[in-house]
Amino acid sequence: MIAQQILNGLVVGAVYALFALGFTLVYGVQKILNLAHGGVFMWGALIGFFVVTKLDLPLWSALILGMTGAGLLGMGLELIAFRHLRRRKGDDLSTLVSSLGANLILVNMAQRVTNSQIESFPFGTFPIRIWRIAGIAISLQSIVILGCVVLLVAMLLLYLFRTHFGAAVRAVAVSERTSVFLGIAPGTVFLQTFFIAGALAGAAGVILGVAFNSVSYDMGEPMMLRAFVIIVLGGFGSVVGAVVAGLVLGVVQALSVALLSSALSDAIMFGVLILLLLAMPTGLFKGFDTEARRA
Amino acid sequence: MDWLFAYQPDLDAICIGSLYALSQFIALRAGLFSLGSAGFGSIGAYAAAIVGMRHGAPLPFALLLAVAVAVVSGLLLSVPLARLRGHFQAVATVAFVEIVVSLALYFDDLTGGPSGINGIPKLVGTGELLLALTGMMALCTITERTGIGRAFGAIRQDDLVARSLGISVVRYHRLAFALSAGIAGLAGGLAAFNTYTIEPEQFGFGLLTASLGAVILGGRGSVIGPVVGTAIFVLLPEVARPLSENRFLLQGAMLIVVITFLPRGIVDSLRDRRALARERRDSSPPLVAARSP
Repeated sequence: MIAQQILNGLVVGAVYALFALGFTLVYGVQKILNLAHGGVFMWGALIGFFVVTKLDLPLWSALILGMTGAGLLGMGLELIAFRHLRRRKGDDLSTLVSSLGANLILVNMAQRVTNSQIESFPFGTFPIRIWRIAGIAISLQSIVILGCVVLLVAMLLLYLFRTHFGAAVRAVAVSERTSVFLGIAPGTVFLQTFFIAGALAGAAGVILGVAFNSVSYDMGEPMMLRAFVIIVLGGFGSVVGAVVAGLVLGVVQALSVALLSSALSDAIMFGVLILLLLAMPTGLFKGFDTEARRA
Repeated sequence: MDWLFAYQPDLDAICIGSLYALSQFIALRAGLFSLGSAGFGSIGAYAAAIVGMRHGAPLPFALLLAVAVAVVSGLLLSVPLARLRGHFQAVATVAFVEIVVSLALYFDDLTGGPSGINGIPKLVGTGELLLALTGMMALCTITERTGIGRAFGAIRQDDLVARSLGISVVRYHRLAFALSAGIAGLAGGLAAFNTYTIEPEQFGFGLLTASLGAVILGGRGSVIGPVVGTAIFVLLPEVARPLSENRFLLQGAMLIVVITFLPRGIVDSLRDRRALARERRDSSPPLVAARSP
């Protein structure tokens, strides 16, 4: 029973991690709390849903198209909501407000497209197959989800720490000014990070939409709030921290929902967040600029 | 007078919304990056509704209790949160708002759970709301004009400098938390007795966005700004009916445009422009050239 909850928690936590990775990457590179990340996630799920239902394409293409679409939305965010602000040297508050505004727009558009209904995938979109190993039910779905997340996280880490593009991203994260002297165009790097962040959120959206079989305009907000917990626990801007914290959050939440109640579980989760901010404001891992200097 | 009657619900909404916006405004004035107004509003609303409905307390007592409970929770929250800055403080206050929402959902024998408290008598009309709004605007103005306001200003600009000038940042941040919480608590209490019903989710992320948005849209420089911002948010979908389905889209677009091109908000930007024009009229040209960016 407990082992089962832990497994379920790991699967959900892996998706949380995927979502929070983009959020923390944007924070790590540009020090923006992008509150529209939840909106991008929700649109990834919506695009995946329409690809399956309207275009009748298989699920894997929904994942790819959802990621691409959400990535492009992320780039749109950077161009519309953040680029001008950066030129005008906006402060913390102004980027936060701008992203809130962008999120309102994304949610409103989704409401129009779905008539504010909760959409669900047609039956049999994902084959149901369950194995029992040592009393634990393991579904094909959770294996595929874990596989997808591991693959995407590995690709992100390779990209950031083993490629030229990644080196440019890390250089900008450490110092935007210095990176300009090195011949890096920060604007391009910001567009790249927003595309990657959006694509990761989109992947999380499609996966969660299929896993819970529900896609709606308001699915971004609870994810956004969980990303707060993850970014605080893992360390603001830390990529490794986001993965670890996402998994921890998933397991803790699954256990506390099973043992307590879901409303109380939220209260405890956010209470722990405040305590963490006070006792350990840097989180478990140092931020992205420290990670960026390594490797 | 008929048109006034038709728009009365809007006027009520503007008054309550403006109170939340003022609560957000006073926090920002003191350099707090607190987004907790929605949570304090929830606490005030539930306190007022519970004593008013279940225990038959008279309205003034219920409202007083709403303010008192909110102020106390604001003071309690300020003890840990005054130590945080910037994004950290913003995230912590958002967490506070969510905690209040989930606790209101959980303790259902006290709060009625997800369905909330219904059938609250409508004891607060437009007159009372206007009175409360005027009172709170006066309170904020007085705070601004006295030493408290100057201390807030110093902390907002640079809390290290403020500290070196002998201003106790912690004490003033506590005061700002208490003021912000009290105003939001009053707004919540009034809303409970104005709209018949309260439920936990109504005091969540949406209210947080609306009150922060109103302050940014209107302007952070004076008490008029938050009220103007709220009025625009409430009235624009009413004035342009076809837009009402796209209310959030409109609000979002306005927020992005204003924060990018009029970062000080509508009221303060207009005021700046007028001051600049006056100067241009009164003074010699070189001074103007030096002043314009």
